[in-house]
Amino acid sequence: MVTLKTKVRLEAFGSCTLEEEGCSLCGDSAVPVEVLRVGEGFARVQDRLGQQTEVATDFMTDIRTGDVLLVHKGVALARGEVNEVR
Amino acid sequence: MKYVDEFRNPELIKKTCAEIKRRVDPTRTYRIMEICGGHTHAIYRFGLKDLLPETIEFVHGPGCPVCVLPMARLDEGLSLSENPDVILTAFGDMMRVPGTQGTLLEHKARGRDIRMVYSPLDALKLAETNPERQVIFFAIGFETTAPSTALTLKRARLLGLKNFTVFCNHVVIAPPLKALLDSPDMRLDAFIGPGHVSTVIGCKPYEFIARDYQKPVVVSGFEPLDLLQSVLMIVKQLNQEEARVENQYARAVSWEGNLAAQKAMAETFSLRPRFEWRGLGQIPQSAFAVSEAYSEWDSEKRFAIVKTRTTEPFRARCGEVLQGLIKPNDCPLFANDCHPEHPTGALMVSSEGACAAYYTYVHRQQGVFE
Repeated sequence: MVTLKTKVRLEAFGSCTLEEEGCSLCGDSAVPVEVLRVGEGFARVQDRLGQQTEVATDFMTDIRTGDVLLVHKGVALARGEVNEVR
Repeated sequence: MKYVDEFRNPELIKKTCAEIKRRVDPTRTYRIMEICGGHTHAIYRFGLKDLLPETIEFVHGPGCPVCVLPMARLDEGLSLSENPDVILTAFGDMMRVPGTQGTLLEHKARGRDIRMVYSPLDALKLAETNPERQVIFFAIGFETTAPSTALTLKRARLLGLKNFTVFCNHVVIAPPLKALLDSPDMRLDAFIGPGHVSTVIGCKPYEFIARDYQKPVVVSGFEPLDLLQSVLMIVKQLNQEEARVENQYARAVSWEGNLAAQKAMAETFSLRPRFEWRGLGQIPQSAFAVSEAYSEWDSEKRFAIVKTRTTEPFRARCGEVLQGLIKPNDCPLFANDCHPEHPTGALMVSSEGACAAYYTYVHRQQGVFE
């Protein structure tokens, strides 16, 4: 279930979702997701529509539940600034 | 600002447009290249061009990897699927790109084992579950996509997979910009830097543009206010005759980028001495090959690939569009022989291509109102 707060936090990084990400090859298609659960080398995440998946987190450090990540091709590449307010 | 309604706030947008209009020097033009296809689409989707003074001109850049891949590379990739032992995997956006012998989708329909994957990691899983087959991943994309291939190569090595390889076509964003800047036809004043490529590489790789060519670069987000703010930052720099790299998309992009992803790319890839770009020709050190340390997972080392040469479709002017020399609708094929349902040139295939954007947001809308 996506709360309104989560939705607006994710939409600050664009409208792409796990299902519809524009042209998947272009850099524009990083999907903003919220971390639901952190595992070893992966995280369970949800997009702004509540669709869930697991993404590789090998290139990220110190991920916490509630963080906003930008994901491309199943791999988390960056953290959204809104996470700084913890 | 943190939320999307703020990045689309009409009052803030009006205010920013007014400030741009106030600051624009009416005696000059501002030719701004948006490097990334995502920015091209955002500019048209949100109608930003119509909000800005006519002296601000957007030029669409080479930031669509499908658009710049020469047909020969597609043909070579396609030839790998002739081997009945092979499962060729590719992103969905590659499936409709026409090579000289047709698209991956058409060859799939004729019985070749070509499968669409969302991530290279999915291709790796396919290799694990099909040990008797050779799984090849047709890798393509800029530095946003390359880290996922790098991670996949590292995992393939960790798993000791013998039936997985990568046909590497990853390209690097900075060298084509240098090629454009060195072109005698170059008439650009500034660049809007790609947002998500920069999450990986940071802002430093663009410093040469400001330092050596005295052109401002602003790395931008994709919301309307992001782009307008970036235009304003560029106008201010140009008016003051400054040239700096600025980061408008600081909520996602850091100056250094993602160092872990950069390290993985450095380990698994090496720069090719040169690579052919559609419309731009051979550009030195502009693409990745699988590195020597990972050569066991390199399709070009494992399989004998016959090198081919191809020419662009007759009368197509994709190259000039890619260089920003002409607008898509200046090409004689645009909306005639070349449209999204039946693309002739690559710029119409990819949804991020400049011609596809023009067709969707300019040509079709003109049709509605005619």
